[in-house]
Amino acid sequence: MIDGLYKWIDNRLNISGGTRKLVNKIFPDHWSFMLGEIALYSFVILLATGVFLTLYFEPSQQQVVYHGSYLPLVGQKMSEAFQSTINLSFAVRCGLLMRQMHHWAANIFVGSIVVHMCRVFFTGGFRRPRELNWIIGVNLMIFAIFNGFLGYSLPDDLVSGTGIRISFSILESLPGGSYIATWLFGGQFPGTLLIDRFFIIHVLILPAAIAGLLAAHLGLLVKQKHTAFAGNGATEKNVVGAPMWPTFLAKTNGFLFLVAGVTALLAATVQINPIWQYGPYVPYKVSYAVQPDWYMGWLDGALRIMPSWEIVLPGHMIPNVFFPGILLPGITFTVLMFWPIIEARFRHDTLEHHILEEPRNNPWRTALGASVLAFYFVLFGASADDVLANYLSVSLNTVLVAFRYLVVLVPVIVYPVTYKICLELQHQPRASKTKRHNIVLRSADGGYSTVESAARPGDALPSFPPLPLDNLIIVGDGAGDGTNGADGAASNGSDTKRGIFRIPRSYR
Amino acid sequence: MGLRLLRKILIPFAALVIAASVGTLVIGRTHAAATGSSSAMSLTAQSALTQKAEAAAGYQLFQQHCSFCHGAQANGSTGLAPNLQGLGPGTVQLWLSAGWMPLKTPSAQPEAKYPIFTPQQIVDVAEWVASLHPGGVPIAPSLDLKTGSLSNGFSLFTETCAPCHTITGAGDALADGYHAPPLHGVTSQQIWEAVRSGPQNMPQFGPKNITPSELNDIVKYVTQVIEHPSHPGGIALGGVGPVAEGFVGLFAGVGACMVAAYWVGDRTERDEEDDEEHEHSGDDPTLAPEGANA
Repeated sequence: MIDGLYKWIDNRLNISGGTRKLVNKIFPDHWSFMLGEIALYSFVILLATGVFLTLYFEPSQQQVVYHGSYLPLVGQKMSEAFQSTINLSFAVRCGLLMRQMHHWAANIFVGSIVVHMCRVFFTGGFRRPRELNWIIGVNLMIFAIFNGFLGYSLPDDLVSGTGIRISFSILESLPGGSYIATWLFGGQFPGTLLIDRFFIIHVLILPAAIAGLLAAHLGLLVKQKHTAFAGNGATEKNVVGAPMWPTFLAKTNGFLFLVAGVTALLAATVQINPIWQYGPYVPYKVSYAVQPDWYMGWLDGALRIMPSWEIVLPGHMIPNVFFPGILLPGITFTVLMFWPIIEARFRHDTLEHHILEEPRNNPWRTALGASVLAFYFVLFGASADDVLANYLSVSLNTVLVAFRYLVVLVPVIVYPVTYKICLELQHQPRASKTKRHNIVLRSADGGYSTVESAARPGDALPSFPPLPLDNLIIVGDGAGDGTNGADGAASNGSDTKRGIFRIPRSYR
Repeated sequence: MGLRLLRKILIPFAALVIAASVGTLVIGRTHAAATGSSSAMSLTAQSALTQKAEAAAGYQLFQQHCSFCHGAQANGSTGLAPNLQGLGPGTVQLWLSAGWMPLKTPSAQPEAKYPIFTPQQIVDVAEWVASLHPGGVPIAPSLDLKTGSLSNGFSLFTETCAPCHTITGAGDALADGYHAPPLHGVTSQQIWEAVRSGPQNMPQFGPKNITPSELNDIVKYVTQVIEHPSHPGGIALGGVGPVAEGFVGLFAGVGACMVAAYWVGDRTERDEEDDEEHEHSGDDPTLAPEGANA
């Protein structure tokens, strides 16, 4: 019956071939290949919780008087946006949990994008032919950061309102910036349109852009195949791992629930963005110890530690916030986006690469990446200079000046240290593996010798040498090529659902 | 830097020198008085002046703990500490009850400690200081916190207090080594007196700036909400803003997801050597390694 239905559909839509191809796609096993999936699944969580939140959120700056359940706010004037966020937190079942899941998932989303990007960067996964996917990935990160900032601003609370005020000023520092800023905000800050506009961008335009780029990102991944770490039979011409069905699908579904579980656990136990403590945004009110979310924190830190230089071009002074607010992110994202091309030029590397580099084998890039990461981490720390000064009982001025030095010194120190560590690791063939005991033996005539003990379970997983099994070609140019091969792979050979599949690369 | 050196080293040193000279002077004087010399005259005149004040219970305490720096008449005559006359009993009560005074170490800002006096002793000292000169900040009246408006208090707190003490009352660092102290664990009396007297770096708010009923509302908000915040969302992370949330999101959130990936994924780096290792991996781990059998 089901078989018949399937045949009926397949005869009309011819989905067998494509599905077969997809079902047999090989995914590498190494855990670091799952970092991007954290981002994917936190995006799924963001969509699900976000849909819930839009049911109750009112994107309007219409001033209303609060008459809800939170006593300290009763009678205060606030925007409908703030009121509806308070109400969805306190008066809607699961509302606060959903809001906190949404916010934590946003933090994890951008965080996992950065971690995933680090994996790709440090192993050289962005090299030809995957430059395009790297560029798409960088754009995904930019969109994610933007959308995070917009979402953080939507409740119209005291803390986020301060952030929007700062971003308005940063926009004004652009050449012709006052026009851009008033155009975007629909007039002078704060105006009455901003929450409405941010809302549409946050729930529709940017998520659609992210979803589209995500589809392109994954489509290119399928088209270009995965990279792989050297060893275990991986070559420049194959992909080693588990097939989509059933192994990878089971694994990745489980992983979806793990990521959702972590998000839900955080949301249920750790409070995030308690806007009822902050109160509604009023332009003349401000709180101390306020920072943006972490992915904007480095920009805030840069604003804080920027010396008050006044650079005057003939007839025009460049506003000071232009350097940390516009120039720094501009350079950051431009260099990041075109890094594959920059590196290929610099190293005269025009070859295709499908085998990943061990970070230690390319100390130059590893050290550079670590030092750049350190730079942004110091900037992130600088966004909490007041909190640090308070906790360390040090003068705020000292902390501020210290950060100005640290932001230069730390990257300069990190580079040679990382470089040296990489060089040292190159001489340790077993680096990053579990250490084994050395057994000292004494022979009958009194001589001593050392023998390394045998591997314990878990020290090394069994590996399979590449087999020349032509009938296991599962991805070919024609749809019918690999139909029998996949079944063979699943049932034939190893019981560990692991195998080597020779996959011609159609674009070669 | 020179000023800091002065403050850190020279002032304590100067204090020591002054203490030594004052000590010798006092000993010399009492010795002279005992022997009935000419200085007995001036001593009687002085005691006549302060006779009324001495009767107060706070006098003894002040002479023991405060007069060394503030002077026997609390007028700052030693040059070590400011004149307290005219500041009012409320100011004295605030500084003593917060534990800021007596000073532990000379620093930009006195640290809050457990007060050395009992509440009654503090009132005694405050009243004795107030008896020297009229005016200043009175001791906080007993506030009727049942009538005030929490919402108005929240609004006023945001406007006048949050810019330094932060919106959650966690306190934060100000410039030049000063800091706005956390508002957790302060009494309504202290809040009232601090607002009226403006201690340390804090601005002073008179009754025309913040009316008595407005101050009542602020005190109500601080004592009932800031000091007893509701955290329906879970652990509050110190109320220092999103940077703490960022660290938790990165290290606990992304970190836990990475641990999950590590658990789900394949974590062994494999290379050519593993072919021979594979042969051993089935061995019982308790067995002696092959080398030992040879």
